[in-house]
Amino acid sequence: MTNVIEIRELRVEYPGRNRSEPPRVAVDGLSLSVRPGEVFGFLGPNGAGKTTTMNVLLGFVNATGGEAFLFGVNVREPIARQRIGYLPELTYYYRFLTAEELLRFYARIFGIPRAETDRRIDALLKLVELESVRRRPIKTYSKGMQQRVGLAQALINNPDLLILDEPTSGLDPLGRMKVREIIQRLKQEGKTVFFSSHELGEVETVCDRVAIISQGRVREEGRVSDLVAKYRCDLERVFLKVIGYEPPSGN
Amino acid sequence: MKPVASPWAWLALLATAVFSIGCTLHPRTAAWRERAASGSILQVVLGEGRRLFANHFFVRADVYFHSGYYPSIFDQAQKPAPTAISGTHERSQDHAQEHERQMAFLGPPRDWIERFGRHFRVTEHTHLAHGEEREMMPWLRLSAELDPQRVETYTVAAYWLRTRLGKVAEARDFLREGLRNNPDSYEILFELGRLYFENDHDVVRARNLWELALRRWSEREGRKQPGEQDLFSLEQIAVRLARLEETEGNLARAIQLLELARRASPAPAALDAQIAELRAKLSETSTPR
Amino acid sequence: MNRVLAIAGVVIRELYRRKDFYVLFVLTALITLLLGAVNFFNDPKIVRYLKEVCLLLIWISAVVIAVTTTARQIPSEKENRTIFPLLAKPVTRWEVILGKFAGCWLAAGIALLVFYLFFAVISESRGGEGTPAPKAAAATQVAPGPQAHDDHAHEPGCCNHAPASPNPWLVYLQGAWLHWMMLAVVIAMVLFGSLIFAAPSSNATIMFIVIGGILLLGEHLNKVALRQTEPVQTILQILYFAIPHLEWFDLRDFIIYDHPPVAFGPCALATAYAAAYALLLLVAAWLVFRRKGLTT
Ligand SMILES: Nc1ncnc2c1ncn2[C@@H]1O[C@H](COP(=O)(O)OP(=O)(O)OP(=O)(O)O)[C@@H](O)[C@H]1O
Ligand SMILES: [Mg+2]
Repeated sequence: MTNVIEIRELRVEYPGRNRSEPPRVAVDGLSLSVRPGEVFGFLGPNGAGKTTTMNVLLGFVNATGGEAFLFGVNVREPIARQRIGYLPELTYYYRFLTAEELLRFYARIFGIPRAETDRRIDALLKLVELESVRRRPIKTYSKGMQQRVGLAQALINNPDLLILDEPTSGLDPLGRMKVREIIQRLKQEGKTVFFSSHELGEVETVCDRVAIISQGRVREEGRVSDLVAKYRCDLERVFLKVIGYEPPSGN
Repeated sequence: MKPVASPWAWLALLATAVFSIGCTLHPRTAAWRERAASGSILQVVLGEGRRLFANHFFVRADVYFHSGYYPSIFDQAQKPAPTAISGTHERSQDHAQEHERQMAFLGPPRDWIERFGRHFRVTEHTHLAHGEEREMMPWLRLSAELDPQRVETYTVAAYWLRTRLGKVAEARDFLREGLRNNPDSYEILFELGRLYFENDHDVVRARNLWELALRRWSEREGRKQPGEQDLFSLEQIAVRLARLEETEGNLARAIQLLELARRASPAPAALDAQIAELRAKLSETSTPR
Repeated sequence: MNRVLAIAGVVIRELYRRKDFYVLFVLTALITLLLGAVNFFNDPKIVRYLKEVCLLLIWISAVVIAVTTTARQIPSEKENRTIFPLLAKPVTRWEVILGKFAGCWLAAGIALLVFYLFFAVISESRGGEGTPAPKAAAATQVAPGPQAHDDHAHEPGCCNHAPASPNPWLVYLQGAWLHWMMLAVVIAMVLFGSLIFAAPSSNATIMFIVIGGILLLGEHLNKVALRQTEPVQTILQILYFAIPHLEWFDLRDFIIYDHPPVAFGPCALATAYAAAYALLLLVAAWLVFRRKGLTT
């Protein structure tokens, strides 16, 4: 069975601001594979290259070297994105549209039939609890509400793979729990979820496997239980150790 | 989303608004305020530029007269003066031909772009008629508002108003307005006299106005060098007045006036004949008694 | 195609949820109505000055709407990052370009429709019976009035009177159609510019200058070139043949002065010309956009 995500020796450089400045390496020989039906946590400190890697998977950024595949299709092909749902970090959706109109627009992009669209929009807005404000323009939403609109749009095509960039940022504890529930439900439906997060607690509860990256390289990868067993501490400690943070000796 | 568009929209709007408000308000304020007041707001705002605008609007009237068939500054090295609408006074066939020649500015197209582009521009030389001359009036009105010292505007507008549009009263009011702004203009006096003579058949007033026009002419033009004098106007006034006096039976004055015209005329031969004719008539009427 | 229309739909929604269009329309209407109320020598039939000012305002408004709407499309998608969820869907970048173009163009078309309807109503309510067609038939000679001797010298034969248009609506329709076609080129141009110039405001400024320049000078560049010395002359000639001749699409003079409509053939050719130019610019825009990395 082909891997849902296959990344081989990926390298991404951002050009320097001017000639004299050398290019900045954001991803440096990163290899990774995500198997079908997995919930995969993509961890790493700020600036490690998580978003950049996802941008390559979605075709926004061109790799300087290496290759990446979604369902065995090279990410350069637009068709590779038919079966995925994507939640970007920090997005302001078309603020003059209402949540309902936004979802309808994306459904049209996927070519979902009208009746089916209506059904899905109802279900999704219920799922993310935005039914009461579905006819209000998005510009009147709070940050957490906007994040939930984002989650709903990522699910509009009933995707087989979800790529979520920090899905819980900006959400209250209840909202985070809901996101966890959604992820777990999707897993039960047999979907694959690839997400980045800084909330190691929730990663621990929902993820099958994690990869910890730092400075554009995978530093550690494996099942959460295996890692915890290997380092003999909780995931947060594992993370800190892997990225090379030495706790002050007094502790 | 930042409202990127707004500054531009507003800037463009402001520009149109300025132009349009200029067009809109001015004729209205003109009606509201007393003419005696020293200079209107627009005149103050625009300063000397108003002459330029006044000229622009005067030309605009000429463009209208030609229904959009008009040379741009690129079409000819020297632009023709807007002679067509000013051709209110006697004009000969020569002038018509000269005008035709001037207006044949298009010429053969230089390339396919120009040839194809001709489909989308007015390429026929026409003049307004059948009351459509009224369409020129707003521009002339505006021109007069901007530059009340431009005498031509009043005479031209009055000509069209009374001869083609049947608006004698409006023509009279406009000429009076012009006269208030230019008390020593023999051109306006002459035109006003024509209005009284031709439209109102008021011989007395016409005579008075034309006599006044002659006096104004000599006051203003008499002092100038012979080469710079407006002899064309002098001839016109004198000939008209002479005709009037002739029909009124004042042959001696008529002869006197024709002799004045003769001195101003570039082609005095025709006048010589008329003078001779009048002389003959005069001697005819005077000898039996 | 459905994807293109979906993207276009969002653009149209945006335009009609913003105030720009309404402000411009209300201003145009207000100025026109105010001007219409001015009394010139007690002649209520005078209409052409009103047509001219109204059309001028329509032209300015339409270009402002088209340029500002188009200029902000892709930059604001980037700034608000909506381009990311969009491109994460199975749309190609060509479809995004085409969708944005279609949206702006259709939105401009709707705006034009509203504007020209207003214009037609105004001009017909005013001069409607003032310039009837049958009168033109009797145009051979003006009856000599009492002042025939000094009647206008051009009357006899040397030139015609402007023939009244048999059906002004046809000219209005033609004028609006060509205007819309011109906007297609303008929108494609601005879309291309928005991928080259970083800031939408600088793009809009440059485009306003370019469009204004073409409309005012485009047709005269060849004549101007003739009067220049060598290097300048060739540059101007090249420019003359390279620029899209937007001034062809300006039928305002035909509308204002009641000229008969332009023949069908040239109209169709001009439409094809606009389509070709728009397509060319869209392909150029796509070539720039195609391989562009989108960074967060
Ligand atoms: N557009 C860009 N131009 C230049 N450098 C960039 C650009 N975007 C990101 N980088 C650099 O690439 C590296 C990786 O950034 P990336 O956004 O992938 O980090 P991240 O892991 O998502 O971080 P975070 O947890 O803060 O979201 C960082 O060093 C960043 O400075
Ligand atoms: Mg990130």
